Amino acid sequence: MTSTQPTSDKRGTTLINHWQSGVPVTHGPILTPFVFFLLGVSALGLGLAALRFFSPLGPFSGMNDAYAWGIWKTFNVMTLTALGSGPLALGIAAWVFNRQNLHVVMRTALVSGFLFYATGLVALGFDIGRPWNFYSAILPWRWNSESAMLEISICMPLYCFVFLSFEILPLFLERLYYTGNDKARAFLRHFSPMIRKAYPFLIIGAYVIPLMHQSSLGGLLLLAGTKINPIWQSPAMPLLYLIAAGLCGFAFTIFLLLIVCLRYGRALDADVLNELANLLSGVCVAFLAVRLVDLTMRGELHTAFALNGMSLIFLFESALILTPAVALRFRRVRETPRSLLNMAALACVGGTAYRFIPTSIAYMPPHSTRYFPSAPELFIAAGWIAVGMVGFILAINYFAVLPGEASTWDHTFRPFGWPHKAAGAAYAPSVILERGA
Amino acid sequence: MSVALSRRQAFKVMVGLGGTVATGLLPKTAAAEEEHPAHPVAPADAIAMLYDSTVCTGCKACMPACNEANGLPADTLLSGGIWDMPTGLNAQTKNIIELYQDPKSDEFAFVKKQCMHCLDPACVTGCPFGSLKKSDWGAVTWNSSLCIGCRYCEVACPFEVPQFEWKSWNPQIVKCEFCYDQRLKKDLEPACTAACPTGAVIFGKRVDLLAKAKDRIATAPGKYFEERVYGEHEAGGTQVLYLSSVSFQKIGLPKLGTTSIGHYATKVTSHIYKWLSGPIAVSGVLGFFIRRNWNRHELERLEHEKQSGFPDQL
Amino acid sequence: MLQCGISRRSFLVFCTSLMVAAPYGLAITDKKTPEEVAAGLDKVLRPPIIWLHFQDCTGCTESMLQTSAPGFADLILNVISLEYHETLMAGSGLQARQALDEAVKRYAGKFILVVEGSIPTKDHGIYMKIAGRPAMDVLADVGGKAAAIIAIGSCASWGGIPSADPDPTGAVGVADLMPDKSIINIPGCPPNPYTMLGVVLQYAADGTFPETDEQRRPKFAFDRDIHEHCPKRAHFDAGNFVKQYGDEGHREGWCLYEMGCKGPDTHAGCSTRHFNEIPDVWPIGIGAPCIGCTEKAVAFKVPMFQVVQLHTIAAPPTAFAPISTTYSTISPLATGLVGIAVGAAAGAGYIASRKFSRAEDDESVPGSVVPDNKSKPESSDSDRPQL
Repeated sequence: MTSTQPTSDKRGTTLINHWQSGVPVTHGPILTPFVFFLLGVSALGLGLAALRFFSPLGPFSGMNDAYAWGIWKTFNVMTLTALGSGPLALGIAAWVFNRQNLHVVMRTALVSGFLFYATGLVALGFDIGRPWNFYSAILPWRWNSESAMLEISICMPLYCFVFLSFEILPLFLERLYYTGNDKARAFLRHFSPMIRKAYPFLIIGAYVIPLMHQSSLGGLLLLAGTKINPIWQSPAMPLLYLIAAGLCGFAFTIFLLLIVCLRYGRALDADVLNELANLLSGVCVAFLAVRLVDLTMRGELHTAFALNGMSLIFLFESALILTPAVALRFRRVRETPRSLLNMAALACVGGTAYRFIPTSIAYMPPHSTRYFPSAPELFIAAGWIAVGMVGFILAINYFAVLPGEASTWDHTFRPFGWPHKAAGAAYAPSVILERGA
Repeated sequence: MSVALSRRQAFKVMVGLGGTVATGLLPKTAAAEEEHPAHPVAPADAIAMLYDSTVCTGCKACMPACNEANGLPADTLLSGGIWDMPTGLNAQTKNIIELYQDPKSDEFAFVKKQCMHCLDPACVTGCPFGSLKKSDWGAVTWNSSLCIGCRYCEVACPFEVPQFEWKSWNPQIVKCEFCYDQRLKKDLEPACTAACPTGAVIFGKRVDLLAKAKDRIATAPGKYFEERVYGEHEAGGTQVLYLSSVSFQKIGLPKLGTTSIGHYATKVTSHIYKWLSGPIAVSGVLGFFIRRNWNRHELERLEHEKQSGFPDQL
Repeated sequence: MLQCGISRRSFLVFCTSLMVAAPYGLAITDKKTPEEVAAGLDKVLRPPIIWLHFQDCTGCTESMLQTSAPGFADLILNVISLEYHETLMAGSGLQARQALDEAVKRYAGKFILVVEGSIPTKDHGIYMKIAGRPAMDVLADVGGKAAAIIAIGSCASWGGIPSADPDPTGAVGVADLMPDKSIINIPGCPPNPYTMLGVVLQYAADGTFPETDEQRRPKFAFDRDIHEHCPKRAHFDAGNFVKQYGDEGHREGWCLYEMGCKGPDTHAGCSTRHFNEIPDVWPIGIGAPCIGCTEKAVAFKVPMFQVVQLHTIAAPPTAFAPISTTYSTISPLATGLVGIAVGAAAGAGYIASRKFSRAEDDESVPGSVVPDNKSKPESSDSDRPQL
């Protein structure tokens, strides 16, 4: 649990411990110009995506037979779900390694993770050429159990739409409880304990399944064999993809927390961020260690340090991960929000770079064909990302997602689109305690 | 871990550990029937094509024969509707004759490209719902009713053979299927080998053709590049064999190792996922810790809720 | 034969010329030596032939008259017995009628009827009458008694020019009116006379007709298309096409495909057997595109200059695909978009980062109160949801 007393500023530390539970954003406009911009981008993307329904893939994308996977797969799914691995990384740290103070930021990670997965999967739905045959996913006798693609096509939707959805269900129930009528509250009083009962069992699936498919994303590229530059092509790729997912999960959660706290004027929590930064640094070191051992064992070290184009990309990518790995070992860096933000951003870029490069830049089929996404392809990709961003902004405004001080918990939910009861007295703590969820 | 284990928890750990141990042991007992051996052995009835680049005159008789047998429209994009002029394998071309020409040394060679029908095809390993499969006699065929259009086969194939119909509403994966439905089933040889007037590409059992190819190499020392048959061992062996007098890389056949790509990709995961033992073992271990920490969390939660008066959130 | 003033030598010369001129594949000329052909022809019982004209231009007869090996006179006087032919006979009027009636009566069930020209069927066939009887009736009358009918020319085969849109007379071919009769179609406008000659001679020799295709055309002459053996095929394969009549390519004798030549769609032997034994005397040879006159669905049905679809598309022998092809579509718009997005992300990240410092300087508690301004940190590093 988070400690309840703020620690005093020591050695010029600028963090105080404030985070106790999720608190919705209650002030300031929702529909800012930035949100309108995002809505515009999503409308453009979704419009084009709708057109894609009435058109073959060809005219829409720059994909070709040598580069059969465009950015919808390689970026929206294979790369961005690494950033969406916050629930996996934080959840394992919190539940398996007993870092209890991370529970308070789980909701932020869960919502962002869910949105990354959901938008990525929808993008995938537009990418596959014969979606009407996808019903095979529920016919186990058709499964080719050796295929990493099968694992991804089954586990990713399963994780996103069953396990992650279950994990974010309390957000909705909580909201329903505070804004609903007595009947709803009575129902929820019965229902919530059931969720608590099922929770520890279901989250086992919520961690095993992403462990499987995040590593399978790396396993996908094993079959590409010599098409991928030997610096990246390695039997350790599934493991590295998994570690990169953890790395990006931690890094992006830190990054996201800092940005939203800056935007909405939330105080920061030194303990939690410190913990996350520590873990991030550890995962970065682990990633680099595995990478180095892998390169050494395969005898590709000389390729990696040949200082040619691919080697420089490798060095740049490693530097992006090495910098936070080293810097975050220093307490001063961990406790300065600006440097923490910078380091988290570097780690995000580094981790996503590792996930993206083997699918595109280091993916070199013998045919001298090039691939660059076409403009509609980019707009659709950006559209889904914008949908995710709008979803996140709405979520933090309508649900208790962002961590905050419990004292600011005044339950004055935004009235927009939801029945709202103005009477604050009805929601005294005693009532809340009855909830049990 | 000085926590008192309940009977139930102890069971869980044991199941988890047992799973892990079983995972380690199982592959050893099942090694004989390994799905993707590193060096697959061709079955006795495996058919093959032998293409000898030194015999091919580039007449391209095989191309219209292939189009006709497979009902493919001609690729007339470059010729303005007049000729079949593909620039490579594409959605309308399952078979093509390409020309390698060195402008400096006058060295040239023709090469016929089509599916290599690997003994352990990477595309079949990757295909999620078994749309691509190794059929009778080793022909790699595609089934439209199982394909979801993920194009993993295109990523996986080291020879870049499968082609996707980018311009179609109902896109198909287009690749040479050894004329399986069209001719093999009717006891006919593939259209391209039947059409070849010079015998540059011939059809037969893989063992016979391999022997024939080695015979040709032996009778003409120094004629063939590296004195070897491309496809005998490449990517675990293919059912299309090549002989050439110029470098195989120059005529567009990639340099590949001798292990099958399917073996490389699944050698670790096939053990982990055997009977789902890996995931089950991991869930056992995770479940144990989660349960333990959950109980701690619940105790703390109740205490905390009493203290603060606020409910704890999940 | 000697009675007719034909020496053995001249007969053998005739047989040789038949072998050379008549189409290969015909039963009668499949023999190896003139003697063998002569042995076959020896048995010939000059078959009686009645030749009827309907809606025609007499072009088929004209082309027949130009035959030189054997000469037409030889043919009609020595090989066959031409009983009735409106263009060639001396008599007219009642005399001609009587000759026809007599011939039909005398050779009923034995004579070959050659029909030239289409038969009008609209309005009970009143658009053409011979001796007061509609052409349909004449044909039914004479054709009914014939051993076999040879429809010469496209008009008699399936209507030809008279049946072209708008077809005022409802012109049809012989086979349309008497589908059950033994009919050989020799389409063409005009047809090559040797095809006719070959059919007649085979019938004269052993009483059989050559094998025909589904349109009743003798296979020996019509089983391959003009494109296959076109003397200009090399130009087609090399991509040398006439673009306009009289242009340089036309004068060089290039391929007429793009001028609407129907060669690839037309089954006929024209490209190997030119007319009148004069080399290059056929449409393509004199620089005009084939109009597809031997095809029911092409000539007079498809516009003359319309380029036809190729059915069996072969690869050009001179052009080869390279070993690896470079094809890529990188639009400046897309690269620009990516550049803008990356730039905006990096810029926004920098602004967000700097704001932290400012907040630090201003309030010493970061993020607690952010100055109320609308410039929000945008995406950073890559477009991700934040805020």
